[in-house]
Amino acid sequence: MNDPELEELFADPAHREVVDLLKTTRPAAPPLDPHFRNYLRAKLMTEAQQTLQPRAARPWFSSLRPKVLAPAMAAVAAGFLVVLGVEIYLHREPSPELVSVSLPSSKTNVATAEPIVIRFSGPVDKNAVAETVVIEPATAVTKQWVGQSLVIIPDHPLAPNTTYSVSLKPTAIPPPPGPKTTTQPTPAVAPTPVVVRFTTVRAPVAPVVPPSFKSSNVRYAHDSRLADSGTVFSAGWTPTGQLLVSRPAGQPGLGSASPSAAASPAGPAAPRATTDVWLMSTLSTPIRLVVPGGSLPAAAPSGGLFAAWRSAPGNRATLDIWDLQGNLQSTVATVDGAPDRPAVWLDSDRIAYLDQGTLRVAGLHAAVDVPNLKVDHGSLAASATGQFLAVESADRSVVLDLTAGSAPRRLPDHATGFAWSSKGDLAFLIQQASGTDLWIGAGGVNAGRVASSPAGQTWSDLNWAPDAASLMLASKPAGAGSAASRLMLINADGSALTPFAAQQEYSSPQWASHGDFVLFTRQDEAGGRAFWLATTSPLDVDAAEKQALAEVEKFMQARLRRDIAAAQDGLDAQGRTAYEGGASTLLSPAGTQFDRYYPVTLQKTGSNPSKFLVGVRIFVSHSGAQPSFFEEQLTLVLRDQRYLVDAVKSTPTMLLSHGPTVLSVEVVQGSPEQQVRVRFDADLRSGTVTKDTILVTDADGKPVSSRITFDPDNHLATLTLKLKVGSTYQLAVTTGVADINGVSLAQEYDAPLVISR
Amino acid sequence: MPDGFEERELVERAKQDPEAFGALYDRYFPQIYRFAYSRVRDQSLAEDVTSEVFFKALRNIKRYTYSGHPFSSWLYQITLNAVADHYRGQHGEVDLEEGASVPSGGPSVVDEVVRRDRSRRVWSAIDQLPRQQRAAMVLKFGEDRKIEEIAVILGKSSGAVKLLLHRGVERLRRELPQLEVELT
Repeated sequence: MNDPELEELFADPAHREVVDLLKTTRPAAPPLDPHFRNYLRAKLMTEAQQTLQPRAARPWFSSLRPKVLAPAMAAVAAGFLVVLGVEIYLHREPSPELVSVSLPSSKTNVATAEPIVIRFSGPVDKNAVAETVVIEPATAVTKQWVGQSLVIIPDHPLAPNTTYSVSLKPTAIPPPPGPKTTTQPTPAVAPTPVVVRFTTVRAPVAPVVPPSFKSSNVRYAHDSRLADSGTVFSAGWTPTGQLLVSRPAGQPGLGSASPSAAASPAGPAAPRATTDVWLMSTLSTPIRLVVPGGSLPAAAPSGGLFAAWRSAPGNRATLDIWDLQGNLQSTVATVDGAPDRPAVWLDSDRIAYLDQGTLRVAGLHAAVDVPNLKVDHGSLAASATGQFLAVESADRSVVLDLTAGSAPRRLPDHATGFAWSSKGDLAFLIQQASGTDLWIGAGGVNAGRVASSPAGQTWSDLNWAPDAASLMLASKPAGAGSAASRLMLINADGSALTPFAAQQEYSSPQWASHGDFVLFTRQDEAGGRAFWLATTSPLDVDAAEKQALAEVEKFMQARLRRDIAAAQDGLDAQGRTAYEGGASTLLSPAGTQFDRYYPVTLQKTGSNPSKFLVGVRIFVSHSGAQPSFFEEQLTLVLRDQRYLVDAVKSTPTMLLSHGPTVLSVEVVQGSPEQQVRVRFDADLRSGTVTKDTILVTDADGKPVSSRITFDPDNHLATLTLKLKVGSTYQLAVTTGVADINGVSLAQEYDAPLVISR
Repeated sequence: MPDGFEERELVERAKQDPEAFGALYDRYFPQIYRFAYSRVRDQSLAEDVTSEVFFKALRNIKRYTYSGHPFSSWLYQITLNAVADHYRGQHGEVDLEEGASVPSGGPSVVDEVVRRDRSRRVWSAIDQLPRQQRAAMVLKFGEDRKIEEIAVILGKSSGAVKLLLHRGVERLRRELPQLEVELT
């Protein structure tokens, strides 16, 4: 019978006999006048031309079916579950088979993990077509056929803010026998490839180094223990000022106390397969577990990704790329043994690591060739742009230019301890018998010795300040242990070597990108090593400076409370003229509020003690949120025993964050209700996630009744609602959704939902 | 049979694009005409019904929304309505539904089918079934529609369609021995 429905319906053998007879026969073809068919078609087309309005471009249409694509999506990075695509009909190339591509040509803001779905109207030679697909820039992809659709899935997230082109050459095979229709493909090879270009989303806004920040003008304010020794094995900054740390597996998360230091004294960090990677705040709060079983995380300079190692069977380890929500993006390498250092990012799309001591570079989008260098425990550091990689190999130290692919540039013998500044200067150390020399050179070229350690002292742990004006390093007597190590600041020209902190025991400094914190390690009483944070502040001020700062405080508080009389009282005549002339804004504009401020710099002008330059950072809020800040440089002049603002310069407003974006949308089938899960890329204000800001409408535009829940840890909003199978709905995420800084979604997110069976 | 993805795509295009509508016509004309003919058993009438079906489809396609069933289901529905309208206009409303039996007057089923080959005999027997049984039987055995889809076309539940099919088959089962006897 071969029809489950009929088999179920007709169990009686007598009935089955009839059914079999019906299934093996067909009613006779009805008599048909062939002219009638053509005549009716002509009449229909005449009316269609009058009633239908063809568009110049092919119409948009959305129809990626979540269920059909689910197998393909499974191959994509975790978290990217379902694509709700919008299709455009391309201008028809001579190819008769290509119907549509899921990405309209020239589309922008394409998600970096979005598959490309190419639909064909008829049978094609699948192998031949798949082989013709070319993606530029070269990208590793998986090609998968789903029916007549070729699904191209990037093996790794695409590079942000990059224009890609996908070209292919459809090759048809003869259609199956049967009545020919106008839509059947012609078995032919398209004479020219079809090319689709699209541009991926911009990377999250890069951290802003405040213009007022002067690393040479900071001091050690106070410190705090990030975690007790033995509870964090490695730590590093994310670009946004959070920390990625390795913790022993199974540690408690938010709201749970950390084990005491005495409970687990430990020595130097030892990477183990029994660690987890956590995202942690500077308040020592474990925000979320991001890599169970992971170790040695390394945050990418931008894009919200990081790399971490994980143990694999057979005494191997994989180097995986994750996002900060804990979604695995890809595995870029597998090595034997247990790695003992984090990978090194080259910009945000390549990553250097050691495989049994040998240098390797994995490209997230394309393979990268590097010379065969044995590094072992040598220094390894990448420039901010990813162009240069400084490598201390077993027999020499070199700088590799990964962009030009030119021959390695040799550095002075015994160069080690590499550190690249944000401006592209390479600093390194050369240990001498009498101490340590500090060398600096732009791009590693023409490096020269800029300073030497005091006699009997050795330097290590170079780390550039965010403004590239100075370095922090660890200094200790030659031959002494880390208990004698202290942190020092030194200008990039080798001048002004000053202690950053008076205490000893400090080493391994890491500046936060904003310059407000320094992460370092400290040997504790039990001999273990714990991670600490130092808060920086402007240098100590004398009495005159304190008086000037007090006037600034009074002036700024008046501005915050919009007391114009009190604010103007802090200005002299020139100061009033400056504000009135638009040099800056004295009071917050309508609809905004100066929410808070703090001084960031204070300096004398020459030798005149009656004139100071004070930098203040002012945070501007909109509707209670703090989406931006700007800075003013106030010139204070002593007049009649008071310091008054005599002049002002202001910076442009800078966003604190870029606002949340929708990472993925997933439709989860259920009975009788379905779930629509919307995942964001940032911590959201829970109050902004409501049925009014995330809603589903039916074909008539009417909102579908739903319940909404929000999982802040996973940035996941879930709508539970009843959707009809086969119907088309529209998901809208409005700009009412805001991140924890109050920054709203940049633009409304709309996507069609096709609920398939 | 086109997959649903492609069909939906074509239908969406047809809301704007005459060529796409023409493609739909090319694709579905044979089965709609065949179905219409199976209902009216008259070539001229089948042409009228088919013409009416496609013009109605053209005029209403912008309001068509995909419901999870093939586009042809919608065309079948229009066909059924067109046939019903025809009968209303020509003969008044005729209820050939439940309780109706194979006509006893005029040429009997046996009289008719004995002139045909085996296949034709069976299908001719279906032609004599009550209206909705016949529609269900044609759609299931002649057009290979799924029961759920037939339910949509006929505006009935799947259970009701199963009942129609069961009764149709049962009726044929009762008639078939008689047919076989006539043949021998």
